[in-house]
Amino acid sequence: MTTVALLGNPNTGKTTLFNELTDKYAYVGNWTGVTVEKKVGQIRHSHTKVIDLPGVYSLNPITKDESVVTNYLLGHSPDLILNVTNASQLKRNLLLSVEVLELGVPVIITLNMIDDLKRTGHYYNLKTLSTELGCPVRTTNARNKEGLTELKADLVRDQSEIKPNLPLKLNYPLMVNQAIRQAATSLTKDYKVEPKFAHWLAIQYINNNKVVRKYATMHQLKPLLSQKAYYDAQKFDDQIFETRLSFIEKTLASATEQLQSTQHVAITSKIDKVVTHPIFGLPIFVGIFYLMFKLSFDWIGTPLSGYLDGFLSGPISSWANQFLTQAGALPMLRSLIVNGLIAGVGGVLVFIPQIFVLFACITILEDSGYMSRAALVTDRIMEMIGLNGKAFIPLIIGFGCNVTGIMAARTIEQPKERLITTLISPFMSCSARLPIYSLFVAALFPRHQALIVLSLYFLGIVVALFMAKFYHVIFKAKEHSVFIVELPQYHIPRLDIVWHGTWDKGKGFIKKAGTIIFAGTVLIWLLSNFGVRGYVTQIDQSFAANLGQILLPVFKPIGISTWQPISALLTGVLAKEVISSSMMVLFHTSNQTALIAMIGGSFTAISAYALLVFILLYIPCFATIGTIKSETGSAKWAAYSVISSLAISYTLAFLIFQIGSLLM
Amino acid sequence: MGLFVNILILAVIFGFAGYQIYRAVKRSKQGKCAACDYDCEAKKMLNQSKKRAM
Repeated sequence: MTTVALLGNPNTGKTTLFNELTDKYAYVGNWTGVTVEKKVGQIRHSHTKVIDLPGVYSLNPITKDESVVTNYLLGHSPDLILNVTNASQLKRNLLLSVEVLELGVPVIITLNMIDDLKRTGHYYNLKTLSTELGCPVRTTNARNKEGLTELKADLVRDQSEIKPNLPLKLNYPLMVNQAIRQAATSLTKDYKVEPKFAHWLAIQYINNNKVVRKYATMHQLKPLLSQKAYYDAQKFDDQIFETRLSFIEKTLASATEQLQSTQHVAITSKIDKVVTHPIFGLPIFVGIFYLMFKLSFDWIGTPLSGYLDGFLSGPISSWANQFLTQAGALPMLRSLIVNGLIAGVGGVLVFIPQIFVLFACITILEDSGYMSRAALVTDRIMEMIGLNGKAFIPLIIGFGCNVTGIMAARTIEQPKERLITTLISPFMSCSARLPIYSLFVAALFPRHQALIVLSLYFLGIVVALFMAKFYHVIFKAKEHSVFIVELPQYHIPRLDIVWHGTWDKGKGFIKKAGTIIFAGTVLIWLLSNFGVRGYVTQIDQSFAANLGQILLPVFKPIGISTWQPISALLTGVLAKEVISSSMMVLFHTSNQTALIAMIGGSFTAISAYALLVFILLYIPCFATIGTIKSETGSAKWAAYSVISSLAISYTLAFLIFQIGSLLM
Repeated sequence: MGLFVNILILAVIFGFAGYQIYRAVKRSKQGKCAACDYDCEAKKMLNQSKKRAM
């Protein structure tokens, strides 16, 4: 079995290439930090295993996930390294290539996104590059499969057919070279380290690579450890960097060729001038989101959802009822299936159109390259509160699901900033909250659905940012993470990537309908059909009603005057979608239209908005609480998150309802 | 439909629901990957390697 390690800077199209090569689909996004852990795939009809490593700028890691690559190279010896580079950013990409080439493992460099480079009016002479770097150089365009067949042929070789590479030898200054040679020689002689590896280890150690230094300490490599102070005092790392950079500049200068057309760059920079404008950038960002909600709620999602609801609550529901009656099912079973499961789970499933349209829009924004610009635009505001644009990425991912958002916060290197991002993530309005928004906006704000949902999303962001500032002051976070975001050329989104991305984000929702939403619905059906005296026919005597009525005085000040929403809120902790299915069961309605009419009757615009704000911000779902606990490593933070979000949501909903009632 | 079948179907539904709630609580305690409904490549690999280890 041949092992090929895929390695390169972030956002060079490694994951797209990995998917194309291995016929496996992994999550692709047009921004930094998509691959957090390494993935393994196999090239079809071959014995070649491909390992997709997270994107890094250098082998000297800055963040937690970046050390995955260096640790991999220290512990494994792949048969071949495929170094994926962004052809348009070669100068910076080669800094990593040089480090890899110095290892002496066979390397193939591929200049990916070669079309983008061509559009800038440049090209590289591959022969010159190959001679200077001492390894084969290929060109690919993973997005439209250009150059992949040739590349695949290079990779599916047997171990014995792969040509060995000599390590790249750069002309480091005399003193540095001498230090490397001395260390490498004694490592080979005294510690039986393989010469090529010893040479690379010495360079990396001298270059102040934290992971390698840890490795040397762990293995007690005295020739390196004893010279540490000397290396650092002489600032050898700066000299190594200078030498590498000038080598790369020289190589690129000799290999660059000019082409004629530069139209595409002109278009990208023209678009960027507008969308990243210091003043207009933000309104454009808001506008794009508004358009997204317009599409999901007003134009496509809601009409489709109406049809689906008609089908579920009409033919399906009456057919099931008839069938069960004829088959002689007990009234209790019939009620559970028709009024519980079909109404409840179906009541959540009817929101599939809205959710999928929204996910498709987000995927299009990711794939086109706009999301990186959005991070840049928000960076200015984030800067004011002491976070940076990097925190925007986990937050935006949190729109899909808070759990993945919190996981993505791992790319933030400063522990305090990471903690802050984790704590504010649950305030981002995840897609599970969409069904309940849809219900209420359809009932009370039929003409302004998109606007109301947009306002909730932005209220979530505002609360998150406000809390971030607050934590920043409390935690006295002084150190800052560096925010580097690459602005890729705009692409026309590819249909299959958009479909895959949408399906990937949306399938979790469908799965949940069959699992936790199903369970939540059964639970609420039980609570609403049983009371202290056993099975009840009057819902007012059920446990759900008792519970809701006990808590009613607490919720009165935020505008809730019936017990049903309160009991529904309690089940929402299982998963936020369950709130909608619970409402369906508790209001004893079989279709969405009837429920909308019921809600319209028991809420006013103000009290409905206050409730939506409460739902947006109150206790995170079980999965999110668990993730906060495991990512921060303490149950205290998880408990804190529950209590603080409850306090914040109640206060805001209270203010909205009370002030709103005074004004109206 | 016999009383027995009725009770059986009810038991299956309640059993499945109870199991799902139990699983959700258990998974959220494990946190991280397990709690997430997102079946990404990394998670598939993790599950596979767990199966193999068993």
